[in-house]
Amino acid sequence: MSHGYQAVLWNKHKRTYDLAVAGGIVAYIGTFIGVSMATWSGPNILSTEILLIQAFGSCAFIMLTIILSIGPLARLNSIFNPLLYNRRHFGVMFFIVALAHVIIATFWYHGFGIVNPLVSILSMNSEYDRIAQFPFESLGFVALLILFVMAATSHDFWLANLKPGVWKAMHMFVYVAYGLLVLHVVLGALQAERSSLYTWLVIASAVWLTVLHVLTGARETSKDHHGAVAARDGGHWMAVAALDDIPNDRARIVPMKDGERIAVFKYDGKVSAVSNVCAHQNGPLGEGKIVDGCITCPWHGYQYNPDNGQSPPPFTEKIPTYKVKIEGGHVFVDPTPLPPGTPVAPAIIGGNA
Amino acid sequence: MVSFAELIVSALGLYAGIGIIFALLFVTFGVARVDPAAKGAPWGFRLIILPGTVALWPLMLMKWIGGGRRA
Repeated sequence: MSHGYQAVLWNKHKRTYDLAVAGGIVAYIGTFIGVSMATWSGPNILSTEILLIQAFGSCAFIMLTIILSIGPLARLNSIFNPLLYNRRHFGVMFFIVALAHVIIATFWYHGFGIVNPLVSILSMNSEYDRIAQFPFESLGFVALLILFVMAATSHDFWLANLKPGVWKAMHMFVYVAYGLLVLHVVLGALQAERSSLYTWLVIASAVWLTVLHVLTGARETSKDHHGAVAARDGGHWMAVAALDDIPNDRARIVPMKDGERIAVFKYDGKVSAVSNVCAHQNGPLGEGKIVDGCITCPWHGYQYNPDNGQSPPPFTEKIPTYKVKIEGGHVFVDPTPLPPGTPVAPAIIGGNA
Repeated sequence: MVSFAELIVSALGLYAGIGIIFALLFVTFGVARVDPAAKGAPWGFRLIILPGTVALWPLMLMKWIGGGRRA
Protein backbone atom coordinates (compact mmCIF):
# COMPACT_ATOMS: atom_id res chain seq x y z
CA MET A 1 0.00 0.00 0.00
CA SER A 2 1.25 3.46 -0.83
CA HIS A 3 3.23 4.45 2.22
CA GLY A 4 7.03 4.53 1.98
CA TYR A 5 8.10 2.56 -1.07
CA GLN A 6 10.36 -0.48 -0.76
CA ALA A 7 12.25 -2.22 -3.58
CA VAL A 8 10.33 -5.48 -3.21
CA LEU A 9 7.60 -6.26 -0.69
CA TRP A 10 8.47 -9.77 0.40
CA ASN A 11 6.82 -11.73 3.16
CA LYS A 12 7.04 -15.41 4.07
CA HIS A 13 4.34 -16.44 1.58
CA LYS A 14 5.80 -14.38 -1.26
CA ARG A 15 9.28 -15.78 -0.66
CA THR A 16 7.90 -19.33 -0.74
CA TYR A 17 5.96 -18.54 -3.91
CA ASP A 18 8.95 -16.93 -5.64
CA LEU A 19 11.23 -19.82 -4.66
CA ALA A 20 8.68 -22.31 -5.99
CA VAL A 21 8.42 -20.44 -9.32
CA ALA A 22 12.22 -20.11 -9.63
CA GLY A 23 12.59 -23.81 -8.76
CA GLY A 24 9.99 -24.68 -11.39
CA ILE A 25 11.88 -22.68 -14.04
CA VAL A 26 15.20 -24.38 -13.22
CA ALA A 27 13.54 -27.81 -13.17
CA TYR A 28 11.85 -27.17 -16.53
CA ILE A 29 15.03 -25.93 -18.26
CA GLY A 30 17.08 -28.80 -16.79
CA THR A 31 14.51 -31.43 -17.76
CA PHE A 32 14.08 -29.95 -21.25
CA ILE A 33 17.80 -30.04 -21.97
CA GLY A 34 18.30 -33.45 -20.31
CA VAL A 35 15.44 -35.11 -22.19
CA SER A 36 16.41 -33.44 -25.50
CA MET A 37 20.00 -34.58 -25.22
CA ALA A 38 18.89 -38.11 -24.40
CA THR A 39 16.35 -38.16 -27.24
CA TRP A 40 18.25 -36.47 -30.08
CA SER A 41 21.47 -38.15 -31.03
CA GLY A 42 23.68 -38.80 -34.05
CA PRO A 43 23.04 -36.52 -37.06
CA ASN A 44 19.87 -35.07 -35.42
CA ILE A 45 21.68 -33.70 -32.37
CA LEU A 46 21.06 -30.02 -31.61
CA SER A 47 23.72 -27.65 -30.32
CA THR A 48 23.60 -26.56 -26.66
CA GLU A 49 22.80 -22.99 -27.74
CA ILE A 50 19.77 -24.05 -29.76
CA LEU A 51 18.59 -26.28 -26.92
CA LEU A 52 18.87 -23.30 -24.53
CA ILE A 53 16.98 -21.05 -26.96
CA GLN A 54 14.17 -23.60 -27.22
CA ALA A 55 14.16 -24.35 -23.48
CA PHE A 56 13.90 -20.68 -22.42
CA GLY A 57 11.47 -19.85 -25.23
CA SER A 58 9.04 -22.68 -24.49
CA CYS A 59 9.36 -22.04 -20.73
CA ALA A 60 8.47 -18.36 -21.26
CA PHE A 61 5.47 -19.23 -23.42
CA ILE A 62 4.15 -21.70 -20.85
CA MET A 63 4.68 -19.11 -18.09
CA LEU A 64 2.74 -16.50 -20.07
CA THR A 65 -0.11 -18.96 -20.57
CA ILE A 66 -0.18 -19.58 -16.80
CA ILE A 67 -0.09 -15.82 -16.07
CA LEU A 68 -3.05 -15.20 -18.40
CA SER A 69 -4.93 -18.10 -16.78
CA ILE A 70 -4.57 -16.88 -13.21
CA GLY A 71 -7.07 -13.99 -13.44
CA PRO A 72 -9.95 -16.02 -14.92
CA LEU A 73 -9.23 -19.01 -12.65
CA ALA A 74 -9.40 -16.77 -9.58
CA ARG A 75 -12.74 -15.41 -10.80
CA LEU A 76 -14.04 -18.96 -11.16
CA ASN A 77 -12.72 -20.25 -7.83
CA SER A 78 -11.20 -18.40 -4.88
CA ILE A 79 -8.77 -21.28 -4.31
CA PHE A 80 -6.61 -19.61 -7.01
CA ASN A 81 -6.48 -16.25 -5.21
CA PRO A 82 -2.98 -16.88 -3.74
CA LEU A 83 -1.67 -17.18 -7.33
CA LEU A 84 -3.29 -13.84 -8.15
CA TYR A 85 -1.82 -12.26 -5.04
CA ASN A 86 1.69 -13.03 -6.30
CA ARG A 87 1.14 -12.65 -10.02
CA ARG A 88 3.38 -9.62 -10.47
CA HIS A 89 6.48 -11.47 -9.27
CA PHE A 90 5.57 -14.31 -11.63
CA GLY A 91 5.30 -11.75 -14.45
CA VAL A 92 8.74 -10.29 -13.79
CA MET A 93 10.29 -13.78 -13.67
CA PHE A 94 8.56 -14.57 -16.96
CA PHE A 95 10.12 -11.48 -18.52
CA ILE A 96 13.59 -12.54 -17.31
CA VAL A 97 13.14 -15.99 -18.87
CA ALA A 98 11.89 -14.43 -22.15
CA LEU A 99 14.85 -12.02 -22.13
CA ALA A 100 17.28 -14.94 -21.68
CA HIS A 101 15.71 -16.58 -24.75
CA VAL A 102 16.11 -13.37 -26.78
CA ILE A 103 19.71 -12.71 -25.68
CA ILE A 104 20.91 -16.23 -26.49
CA ALA A 105 19.04 -16.29 -29.83
CA THR A 106 20.32 -12.83 -30.81
CA PHE A 107 23.95 -13.70 -30.14
CA TRP A 108 23.68 -17.15 -31.70
CA TYR A 109 21.94 -16.11 -34.92
CA HIS A 110 22.95 -12.44 -35.29
CA GLY A 111 26.03 -11.87 -33.14
CA PHE A 112 28.85 -13.02 -35.41
CA GLY A 113 28.57 -10.57 -38.29
CA ILE A 114 29.55 -6.96 -38.82
CA VAL A 115 25.93 -5.73 -38.74
CA ASN A 116 24.42 -4.55 -35.45
CA PRO A 117 22.53 -7.65 -34.12
CA LEU A 118 19.31 -5.65 -33.65
CA VAL A 119 19.50 -4.27 -37.19
CA SER A 120 20.21 -7.81 -38.38
CA ILE A 121 17.06 -9.13 -36.64
CA LEU A 122 14.89 -6.54 -38.38
CA SER A 123 16.54 -6.60 -41.80
CA MET A 124 17.92 -10.07 -42.59
CA ASN A 125 14.55 -11.31 -43.80
CA SER A 126 12.08 -9.02 -45.58
CA GLU A 127 9.60 -11.65 -46.76
CA TYR A 128 6.67 -10.02 -45.00
CA ASP A 129 4.31 -11.07 -47.80
CA ARG A 130 5.03 -14.81 -47.52
CA ILE A 131 3.63 -16.77 -44.58
CA ALA A 132 6.07 -19.66 -44.93
CA GLN A 133 9.10 -17.32 -44.86
CA PHE A 134 7.67 -14.59 -42.61
CA PRO A 135 10.36 -12.91 -40.43
CA PHE A 136 8.97 -14.20 -37.15
CA GLU A 137 11.89 -12.71 -35.18
CA SER A 138 10.51 -9.18 -35.61
CA LEU A 139 7.22 -10.28 -34.00
CA GLY A 140 9.14 -11.52 -30.97
CA PHE A 141 11.14 -8.27 -30.90
CA VAL A 142 7.96 -6.13 -30.72
CA ALA A 143 6.48 -8.48 -28.09
CA LEU A 144 9.64 -8.13 -26.01
CA LEU A 145 9.40 -4.32 -26.10
CA ILE A 146 5.81 -4.51 -24.81
CA LEU A 147 6.76 -7.01 -22.11
CA PHE A 148 9.72 -4.85 -21.06
CA VAL A 149 7.50 -1.84 -20.48
CA MET A 150 5.10 -4.02 -18.48
CA ALA A 151 7.81 -5.60 -16.32
CA ALA A 152 9.54 -2.24 -15.79
CA THR A 153 6.31 -0.60 -14.62
CA SER A 154 5.12 -3.42 -12.36
CA HIS A 155 6.11 -1.64 -9.11
CA ASP A 156 3.39 0.09 -7.07
CA PHE A 157 5.13 3.41 -7.73
CA TRP A 158 3.96 3.19 -11.34
CA LEU A 159 0.46 2.20 -10.35
CA ALA A 160 0.22 5.26 -8.09
CA ASN A 161 1.75 7.71 -10.57
CA LEU A 162 0.17 6.50 -13.80
CA LYS A 163 -3.20 6.06 -11.99
CA PRO A 164 -4.91 2.64 -11.81
CA GLY A 165 -7.02 3.08 -14.97
CA VAL A 166 -4.07 3.98 -17.21
CA TRP A 167 -1.80 1.40 -15.56
CA LYS A 168 -4.38 -1.34 -15.99
CA ALA A 169 -5.06 -0.36 -19.62
CA MET A 170 -1.32 -0.33 -20.34
CA HIS A 171 -0.91 -3.78 -18.83
CA MET A 172 -3.77 -5.15 -20.94
CA PHE A 173 -1.27 -4.96 -23.81
CA VAL A 174 -0.08 -8.34 -22.52
CA TYR A 175 -2.79 -9.78 -24.78
CA VAL A 176 -1.22 -8.03 -27.79
CA ALA A 177 2.17 -9.46 -26.76
CA TYR A 178 0.59 -12.91 -26.40
CA GLY A 179 -0.90 -12.67 -29.91
CA LEU A 180 2.49 -11.65 -31.34
CA LEU A 181 4.18 -14.53 -29.51
CA VAL A 182 1.62 -17.04 -30.81
CA LEU A 183 2.52 -15.94 -34.36
CA HIS A 184 6.24 -15.83 -33.47
CA VAL A 185 6.21 -19.47 -32.32
CA VAL A 186 3.94 -20.84 -35.05
CA LEU A 187 5.74 -19.09 -37.92
CA GLY A 188 9.13 -19.92 -36.42
CA ALA A 189 8.21 -23.57 -36.02
CA LEU A 190 6.91 -23.60 -39.60
CA GLN A 191 10.36 -22.61 -40.88
CA ALA A 192 12.76 -24.43 -38.61
CA GLU A 193 11.14 -27.25 -36.65
CA ARG A 194 11.17 -30.89 -37.58
CA SER A 195 8.33 -31.77 -35.23
CA SER A 196 4.96 -30.09 -34.75
CA LEU A 197 5.33 -30.06 -30.95
CA TYR A 198 5.53 -26.26 -30.64
CA THR A 199 2.61 -25.68 -32.97
CA TRP A 200 0.45 -27.98 -30.84
CA LEU A 201 1.70 -26.31 -27.65
CA VAL A 202 0.56 -22.93 -28.99
CA ILE A 203 -2.80 -24.24 -30.21
CA ALA A 204 -3.46 -25.90 -26.82
CA SER A 205 -2.54 -22.66 -25.02
CA ALA A 206 -4.75 -20.49 -27.25
CA VAL A 207 -7.75 -22.85 -26.98
CA TRP A 208 -7.34 -23.14 -23.18
CA LEU A 209 -7.15 -19.37 -22.70
CA THR A 210 -10.08 -18.69 -25.03
CA VAL A 211 -12.33 -21.22 -23.28
CA LEU A 212 -11.27 -19.96 -19.85
CA HIS A 213 -11.96 -16.30 -20.68
CA VAL A 214 -15.32 -17.08 -22.33
CA LEU A 215 -16.37 -19.20 -19.33
CA THR A 216 -15.40 -16.47 -16.89
CA GLY A 217 -17.16 -13.77 -18.92
CA ALA A 218 -20.34 -15.88 -19.11
CA ARG A 219 -20.27 -16.45 -15.37
CA GLU A 220 -19.77 -12.75 -14.58
CA THR A 221 -22.67 -11.82 -16.87
CA SER A 222 -24.86 -14.46 -15.23
CA LYS A 223 -23.97 -13.17 -11.74
CA ASP A 224 -24.81 -9.59 -12.76
CA HIS A 225 -28.12 -10.70 -14.24
CA HIS A 226 -28.99 -12.63 -11.07
CA GLY A 227 -28.05 -9.65 -8.90
CA ALA A 228 -30.13 -7.22 -10.94
CA VAL A 229 -33.19 -9.43 -10.51
CA ALA A 230 -32.59 -9.66 -6.77
CA ALA A 231 -32.31 -5.89 -6.36
CA ARG A 232 -35.81 -4.37 -6.26
CA ASP A 233 -36.31 -0.65 -6.46
CA GLY A 234 -37.78 0.64 -3.22
CA GLY A 235 -37.97 4.33 -4.06
CA HIS A 236 -34.75 6.00 -2.96
CA TRP A 237 -33.39 2.80 -1.43
CA MET A 238 -32.68 -0.51 -3.11
CA ALA A 239 -33.34 -3.84 -1.41
CA VAL A 240 -30.14 -5.76 -2.09
CA ALA A 241 -30.32 -8.94 0.00
CA ALA A 242 -31.96 -10.74 2.89
CA LEU A 243 -29.76 -10.26 5.93
CA ASP A 244 -29.43 -14.04 6.36
CA ASP A 245 -28.14 -14.40 2.79
CA ILE A 246 -24.92 -12.51 3.59
CA PRO A 247 -22.39 -14.73 5.40
CA ASN A 248 -20.60 -13.27 8.43
CA ASP A 249 -17.40 -11.36 7.55
CA ARG A 250 -18.27 -11.65 3.87
CA ALA A 251 -20.13 -9.58 1.30
CA ARG A 252 -22.92 -9.71 -1.20
CA ILE A 253 -21.99 -8.02 -4.50
CA VAL A 254 -24.83 -5.96 -5.95
CA PRO A 255 -24.63 -4.81 -9.60
CA MET A 256 -26.18 -1.43 -10.45
CA LYS A 257 -27.88 -0.50 -13.70
CA ASP A 258 -24.97 1.78 -14.66
CA GLY A 259 -22.50 -1.12 -14.41
CA GLU A 260 -21.13 -0.18 -10.98
CA ARG A 261 -21.02 -2.86 -8.28
CA ILE A 262 -21.57 -2.37 -4.56
CA ALA A 263 -20.11 -4.73 -1.94
CA VAL A 264 -22.40 -5.09 1.11
CA PHE A 265 -20.48 -6.52 4.06
CA LYS A 266 -21.90 -8.16 7.22
CA TYR A 267 -19.50 -8.13 10.15
CA ASP A 268 -19.45 -7.81 13.91
CA GLY A 269 -23.26 -7.37 14.17
CA LYS A 270 -23.25 -4.60 11.55
CA VAL A 271 -23.71 -4.04 7.82
CA SER A 272 -21.76 -1.57 5.64
CA ALA A 273 -21.67 -0.92 1.90
CA VAL A 274 -18.69 0.20 -0.18
CA SER A 275 -17.65 0.24 -3.83
CA ASN A 276 -16.69 -3.22 -5.06
CA VAL A 277 -13.60 -1.77 -6.77
CA CYS A 278 -10.29 -1.73 -4.90
CA ALA A 279 -8.31 1.51 -5.31
CA HIS A 280 -5.16 -0.49 -5.95
CA GLN A 281 -5.81 -2.54 -9.09
CA ASN A 282 -9.60 -2.57 -9.33
CA GLY A 283 -9.76 -5.92 -7.49
CA PRO A 284 -13.21 -7.26 -6.48
CA LEU A 285 -13.49 -6.25 -2.80
CA GLY A 286 -16.79 -8.08 -2.41
CA GLU A 287 -14.98 -11.36 -3.05
CA GLY A 288 -12.68 -10.63 -0.12
CA LYS A 289 -13.45 -10.89 3.56
CA ILE A 290 -13.16 -8.98 6.81
CA VAL A 291 -9.71 -9.49 8.36
CA ASP A 292 -8.83 -7.72 11.62
CA GLY A 293 -11.93 -5.55 11.25
CA CYS A 294 -11.00 -4.40 7.73
CA ILE A 295 -12.33 -5.29 4.28
CA THR A 296 -9.42 -7.11 2.66
CA CYS A 297 -9.04 -7.25 -1.12
CA PRO A 298 -8.60 -10.84 -2.34
CA TRP A 299 -6.10 -9.78 -4.98
CA HIS A 300 -3.28 -8.05 -3.10
CA GLY A 301 -4.49 -7.67 0.49
CA TYR A 302 -5.26 -3.94 0.41
CA GLN A 303 -7.47 -3.08 3.39
CA TYR A 304 -10.27 -0.59 4.10
CA ASN A 305 -12.38 0.24 7.14
CA PRO A 306 -15.93 -0.82 6.25
CA ASP A 307 -17.56 2.23 7.86
CA ASN A 308 -15.54 4.89 6.00
CA GLY A 309 -13.82 3.23 3.02
CA GLN A 310 -10.41 4.46 4.20
CA SER A 311 -7.28 2.34 4.47
CA PRO A 312 -6.09 2.15 8.07
CA PRO A 313 -3.25 4.62 8.86
CA PRO A 314 -0.55 5.16 7.71
CA PHE A 315 -2.00 4.10 4.35
CA THR A 316 -3.98 6.58 2.29
CA GLU A 317 -6.21 4.68 -0.16
CA LYS A 318 -9.93 5.52 -0.17
CA ILE A 319 -12.99 4.02 -1.86
CA PRO A 320 -16.57 5.31 -2.22
CA THR A 321 -19.08 4.35 0.50
CA TYR A 322 -22.88 3.98 0.46
CA LYS A 323 -25.66 4.61 2.97
CA VAL A 324 -27.19 1.39 4.23
CA LYS A 325 -30.15 0.36 6.41
CA ILE A 326 -31.90 -2.81 7.59
CA GLU A 327 -35.69 -3.22 7.52
CA GLY A 328 -37.70 -6.37 8.07
CA GLY A 329 -34.67 -8.62 7.77
CA HIS A 330 -33.63 -7.05 4.44
CA VAL A 331 -30.63 -4.87 3.69
CA PHE A 332 -31.30 -1.65 1.74
CA VAL A 333 -28.66 0.49 0.06
CA ASP A 334 -28.87 4.05 -1.24
CA PRO A 335 -27.27 3.56 -4.70
CA THR A 336 -25.78 7.07 -4.80
CA PRO A 337 -22.02 6.72 -4.15
CA LEU A 338 -20.53 9.05 -1.55
CA PRO A 339 -17.07 10.56 -2.17
CA PRO A 340 -14.21 8.12 -1.43
CA GLY A 341 -13.47 7.88 2.28
CA THR A 342 -16.80 9.34 3.47
CA PRO A 343 -17.74 7.96 6.93
CA VAL A 344 -21.17 6.23 6.98
CA ALA A 345 -22.77 4.83 10.12
CA PRO A 346 -23.16 1.05 9.70
CA ALA A 347 -26.65 -0.48 9.98
CA ILE A 348 -26.84 -2.32 13.31
CA ILE A 349 -28.27 -5.84 13.12
CA GLY A 350 -31.16 -6.03 15.59
CA GLY A 351 -31.00 -2.26 16.16
CA ASN A 352 -33.61 0.38 15.32
CA ALA A 353 -33.91 1.16 11.62
CA MET B 1 21.76 4.83 -47.51
CA VAL B 2 20.33 4.17 -44.06
CA SER B 3 17.87 1.27 -44.02
CA PHE B 4 14.53 1.32 -42.24
CA ALA B 5 15.86 -1.20 -39.72
CA GLU B 6 18.87 0.99 -38.96
CA LEU B 7 16.56 3.97 -38.53
CA ILE B 8 14.37 2.11 -36.02
CA VAL B 9 17.34 0.81 -34.02
CA SER B 10 19.02 4.25 -34.02
CA ALA B 11 15.78 5.93 -32.87
CA LEU B 12 15.35 3.35 -30.10
CA GLY B 13 18.99 3.81 -29.08
CA LEU B 14 18.63 7.58 -28.95
CA TYR B 15 15.39 7.32 -26.94
CA ALA B 16 16.99 4.84 -24.50
CA GLY B 17 20.20 6.90 -24.24
CA ILE B 18 18.33 10.07 -23.26
CA GLY B 19 16.13 7.92 -21.01
CA ILE B 20 19.11 6.48 -19.11
CA ILE B 21 20.59 9.92 -18.42
CA PHE B 22 17.19 11.31 -17.42
CA ALA B 23 16.40 8.25 -15.26
CA LEU B 24 19.64 8.59 -13.29
CA LEU B 25 18.81 12.24 -12.52
CA PHE B 26 15.16 11.42 -11.84
CA VAL B 27 15.71 8.63 -9.31
CA THR B 28 18.36 10.74 -7.56
CA PHE B 29 16.64 14.15 -7.43
CA GLY B 30 13.18 14.06 -9.02
CA VAL B 31 11.28 11.06 -7.71
CA ALA B 32 10.47 12.50 -4.28
CA ARG B 33 9.21 15.70 -5.91
CA VAL B 34 6.91 13.75 -8.25
CA ASP B 35 5.69 11.40 -5.50
CA PRO B 36 6.10 12.46 -1.84
CA ALA B 37 5.78 8.81 -0.75
CA ALA B 38 9.19 8.23 -2.37
CA LYS B 39 10.92 10.70 -0.05
CA GLY B 40 13.77 8.90 1.71
CA ALA B 41 13.04 5.67 -0.18
CA PRO B 42 15.90 3.14 -0.26
CA TRP B 43 18.24 2.83 -3.26
CA GLY B 44 16.84 -0.61 -4.02
CA PHE B 45 13.52 1.06 -4.81
CA ARG B 46 15.21 3.72 -6.97
CA LEU B 47 17.02 0.96 -8.88
CA ILE B 48 13.76 -0.96 -9.40
CA ILE B 49 12.00 2.04 -10.98
CA LEU B 50 15.00 2.95 -13.16
CA PRO B 51 14.06 0.77 -16.20
CA GLY B 52 10.47 2.05 -16.13
CA THR B 53 11.74 5.62 -16.03
CA VAL B 54 13.94 4.91 -19.05
CA ALA B 55 10.87 3.55 -20.88
CA LEU B 56 8.52 6.40 -19.89
CA TRP B 57 10.96 9.30 -19.55
CA PRO B 58 8.95 11.92 -21.49
CA LEU B 59 5.96 11.32 -19.20
CA MET B 60 8.05 11.47 -16.04
CA LEU B 61 9.80 14.61 -17.30
CA MET B 62 6.39 16.27 -17.64
CA LYS B 63 5.41 15.12 -14.15
CA TRP B 64 8.69 16.39 -12.72
CA ILE B 65 8.22 19.80 -14.35
CA GLY B 66 4.57 19.85 -13.28
CA GLY B 67 5.31 18.98 -9.66
CA GLY B 68 3.77 15.47 -9.79
CA ARG B 69 1.34 13.72 -7.48
CA ARG B 70 0.22 15.32 -4.25
CA ALA B 71 0.38 13.29 -1.02
